[in-house]
Amino acid sequence: MANEHKWGMVVDIDRCTGCQACVVACQAENNIPINEEKDFLSRRAKQWIRIDRVWEGEWPNVKARFIPILCQHCENAPCEPVCPVYATYHNNEGLNVQVYNRCVGTRYCANNCPYQVRFFNFFDPEWPSSLWNQLNPDVTVRSRGIMEKCTFCVQRIRRAERTIEGQRGEELSDQKLKEGNFMPACVTACPTDTLIFGDMKDPNSEVSRRSEDPRHYKLLDKLGTDPNVVYLKKVDPHVVEEAHD
Amino acid sequence: MSLKMKLIPLALGGLLTTAVLVLVAIFVLRAWWNTPFEVFGFGEAPEQPIAFPHNQHVQIDGISCAFCHRNVTEGDAATILPVEGCLFCHATIQGDQAPPEVAKVVAYFNENRPIDWKKVHRLPDHVQFAHEPHIRFLTQVQGLSIEQSCSTCHGNVREMVEVEQVRSLKMGDCVDCHRNNQVFTENKDITDCTTCHY
Amino acid sequence: MRVSRRDFLRLASFSTLGAVACNVFDEREFIAQSPVRLPEDLVTGRDNWYATLCRHCPETEGLVVRVMEGRAKKVQGNPLYPTNLGGHSVRCEAGLQALYHPDRIAGPLTREGPRGSGLYRSIGWDEALDNLRGQLDRSDRSAVLTVTEPLRGSLAHLVSSFTSAYGGRHMAFQPMEEATYARVVRDVLGQETMPTFDIKNTQFLLSFGADFLSTWTAPVQFSKGYGEFRQGQGRERGTFVQVDSRFSMTAANADDWIPIEPGMEGKLALSIAQVIISEELVNEAVIRAMTGGQGASALDAFAPNRIAQQLGIPPLRGRGPAEVIVELARDFARHGSHSLAIGGGSAAAHTNGLFNLSAIYALNFLVGSVGTEGGIKFNPPPPISELATTLPPATTAEWRRLKGEIDNGSIKLLLFRGVNPVHGLPADIDLRDALDSDDVFTVSFSSFHNETTEMADLILPDRAFLEDWGDDIPQPGPGFEIVGMQQPVVNPLPGMSPLSFADILLRMAHELNIDSAAPLDKVTFQDVLKDHARKLHQLDRGSVREATFEAFWNRLLQQGGWWDEGAVATASLPPSPNLVDIANQAQDPRITGSRDPNTFYLVPFQSISLTDGRGAHLPWLQSTNDPITTVTWTTWVEINTAVAEVIGLKEGDFVKVEGPNGKSLTAQIYHHPAVPPEVISIPVGQGHTSDIRYSKDRGQNTLSILGLPLDEETQALAWASTRVRITKTGEREPIPKFEGIVPAFRPNEEDAIVKVTRG
Repeated sequence: MANEHKWGMVVDIDRCTGCQACVVACQAENNIPINEEKDFLSRRAKQWIRIDRVWEGEWPNVKARFIPILCQHCENAPCEPVCPVYATYHNNEGLNVQVYNRCVGTRYCANNCPYQVRFFNFFDPEWPSSLWNQLNPDVTVRSRGIMEKCTFCVQRIRRAERTIEGQRGEELSDQKLKEGNFMPACVTACPTDTLIFGDMKDPNSEVSRRSEDPRHYKLLDKLGTDPNVVYLKKVDPHVVEEAHD
Repeated sequence: MSLKMKLIPLALGGLLTTAVLVLVAIFVLRAWWNTPFEVFGFGEAPEQPIAFPHNQHVQIDGISCAFCHRNVTEGDAATILPVEGCLFCHATIQGDQAPPEVAKVVAYFNENRPIDWKKVHRLPDHVQFAHEPHIRFLTQVQGLSIEQSCSTCHGNVREMVEVEQVRSLKMGDCVDCHRNNQVFTENKDITDCTTCHY
Repeated sequence: MRVSRRDFLRLASFSTLGAVACNVFDEREFIAQSPVRLPEDLVTGRDNWYATLCRHCPETEGLVVRVMEGRAKKVQGNPLYPTNLGGHSVRCEAGLQALYHPDRIAGPLTREGPRGSGLYRSIGWDEALDNLRGQLDRSDRSAVLTVTEPLRGSLAHLVSSFTSAYGGRHMAFQPMEEATYARVVRDVLGQETMPTFDIKNTQFLLSFGADFLSTWTAPVQFSKGYGEFRQGQGRERGTFVQVDSRFSMTAANADDWIPIEPGMEGKLALSIAQVIISEELVNEAVIRAMTGGQGASALDAFAPNRIAQQLGIPPLRGRGPAEVIVELARDFARHGSHSLAIGGGSAAAHTNGLFNLSAIYALNFLVGSVGTEGGIKFNPPPPISELATTLPPATTAEWRRLKGEIDNGSIKLLLFRGVNPVHGLPADIDLRDALDSDDVFTVSFSSFHNETTEMADLILPDRAFLEDWGDDIPQPGPGFEIVGMQQPVVNPLPGMSPLSFADILLRMAHELNIDSAAPLDKVTFQDVLKDHARKLHQLDRGSVREATFEAFWNRLLQQGGWWDEGAVATASLPPSPNLVDIANQAQDPRITGSRDPNTFYLVPFQSISLTDGRGAHLPWLQSTNDPITTVTWTTWVEINTAVAEVIGLKEGDFVKVEGPNGKSLTAQIYHHPAVPPEVISIPVGQGHTSDIRYSKDRGQNTLSILGLPLDEETQALAWASTRVRITKTGEREPIPKFEGIVPAFRPNEEDAIVKVTRG
């Protein structure tokens, strides 16, 4: 059963308002250490999902566009072949996996990732001891020298498989994921439903339907990475022509 | 003193160093592949705050594993019964007739103190292990009883006074089993890294 | 004892080994604890989700919280709760950190050193409550003032019952209060409860200054609607125009952003109205009714070609300002009752704020979008009368009066709960100075040290919202009757002994024998809530219907509230306002401060994470990027890139920003391509001095340099109506921001990251 899934995401950037709810939700779910001021100054802040803001035009006809960017879980991932210890690979559920205990920290993968979604632990993560109470027991706390990135909240998928498929013997669907709070943290947080997650192999799932939208495109498509994250174009009634297509 | 006389202690010293290094290397390698030599307390059952005889409770009293480890069929952790759970029976089984250790558990309850049991089974770091799917597989697919299922990894607890770890529970051990049983499960992909590592 | 060399080496090696072992292993890793007792719903390794409410911001979002082994792990939106429908904001997420914050106050404290020194001694609850009762047990009860955040639901009922039975006073505090908007809701829209906006079904949305996707009133509720407004199934994509004197996150999402000189929003709205009525784009009867019979020529003084030059609208996409206004008016009228005009935030924060908002909301009457689908949707009053009490915020003028009353001795005992007015009021009121007196006794119910708490003689830490009971009537509600329920999802950590503010009030009521009528006859706040829930149960309608009260109560908590989608507002529509009357009130904003070179309009704003400063102690909120600038952890000054280059300001330069009141702040420059050249923008919320590791001495308090400009009608703080002078200090440091941490994608047409289409 598990090998019949292909997890994917649709990101409708026409809905995205840039509110950062997904970013903090990810931080909370995945035990990402607090990005302190010094981390921003030394350019070592980590955000597995981030919202890029792109300026367009000049004052007063200026636009800021938001786009959430996370690991694209590419089918032909450039990060995978460069890893000397096979710490990153593609599994048959469509996930690009980072195995923390294999990683030796060469950072080749981050260098080779065109989307810049991999983050390296330059320091050991630290929390004041009272904040340990909040850490998610389902997610490994990564130590110094380890590469990390978005996992599509695989811990939630595994929990869903154990409870829905295993115990109840029911087929996993995006509806079931939603009901059981098993959707990735960013997807549940999003107040405008910009992010949609589900099984690309299931023709009835919302991701399958939405990825057929005429506005669909993939990030840096010409690199041929074949991502499992599909974007839907921003709509702007004032664009003179289909400028970027 | 001749050169020869000078070289003898040097050679002896070198031999000794080599021997020590080899011993250390063997120790580390054994620890890596399997369980380490039983020195420094490795491989021994740890001393528990209450000397709890598993054999008494399982063999003589006939209590099922899942009675005390009651979450084992439902959740990730097998869990240990809360102290008040011990008192289900030991509210009556206590006093002069009972072994002195029973007084301890009663005292824990009366003083409202939790018991800090020493962990016996240690998995390597970075592993997310859940009991429930294993018990489900062993009971439903392999048709074992709960007790037999537990024994698959935890050994013959029925005979043990103090429980000790009997299998290495290292990745090789896990993967052997997962590989051999892949054909029997609905989940064909149980050797994927993300089965345990995330 | 003689230690031989051999002994020494042996000891040294053992201690090294020990040190290494202790460092590497946490002792707790080797322990499997069996607790003494275990509630049925607490199973090791298994998670439970409990429904509750977020009480961090005024918009109480319905939440579900993941709890494992008695610890809250993750906060998510409650998908059933009708206002936020599963979505949530960054601010709710950080509720977890308020719960487990390392600097949280563990138990009651009494002041040891001078006020403001932060020196306190721990005392027991018995002593603390005796002390509080001793203070409350006095003859001059009118000298007792309770200050809380704006309250709703059962807590509002309890506090107002207590205050009136006891004989004291109560004031609600909200920094940058929306008193002007509240007045327009009452006078123009004729509503007692806040209306919501049916953005989901709107076709043309015109917003004036309201940062409604980020911080204004109910951003998550509006964001839910906004998502559907953009790409909902089975509808055309809506068009959204934002008129704003700063490029807010909301303006960034608009199809068209129309920059405007601060305070001119009302005149623009009248100009739009002029085009609509002179071109007769709507029904003639409506025009006649709204102009007192004058018809098409009523607003001729506001014709675009007459006033467009005053509004400071730059040429947009090659069109002049008059052309922009005419086009806007035609678009607005074309969509009829599916057009919606909203205003608030910086449009209201002027000396002419009431005029601005009256003119803006009058536009909805022109196109008939009041009380209709896709327009302004009214909310019914709460289902039971006990929950109808609201305690709206006091205006800035009232706070100024209060300062005088404290100074002249007519207020002697102050109780602060959930507010920090010393930080949140303009510095010119100087509440701190009033509290720094031996004639007043101050009690704080805060669980964190802050500028107000530091002045307190007694601190009685309240429970965090995830540990406390409560209920809420959301304002605005979703358009039908709703009661949200808040339940404790975890117990306080060992060593923490917070006590609920509501429970303390009830206990004081009993000990002082002040009243025996409901709700003060109850022992705990939970009893009060149950009493009200019983009345809800008796209605026997809505989302929770059960035979017994016990079952009803359980389902109420399980679902996170009660609502009845059929129970919508039934009151008749308010009469249309007269545009001529509004036009007669038209006036330009009075801007404080000089127009010399190097002076700019200051448009402060609430950042999406810290808002008015209530989130500054939480590290996740401090580290959240500002959506536009991506700056974190500090206060920054947004200035137009071209202007900054002309006057020689580089990014990261520290500048002194001097307000009309002579006070100044120092902050770092951020180059912003979309700030109007005449404007600078600074977020509020930083500048805390109390000893909290994540907020102490970070950035500066923007409210301190505003002076005290007030709206002339509503006496609310006109926080967007000052001009400030900036001077370079000569220092420069890198600014902590996310931008640039990951190398930017090349803005190459083929590789464009954000692809844009026409539709």
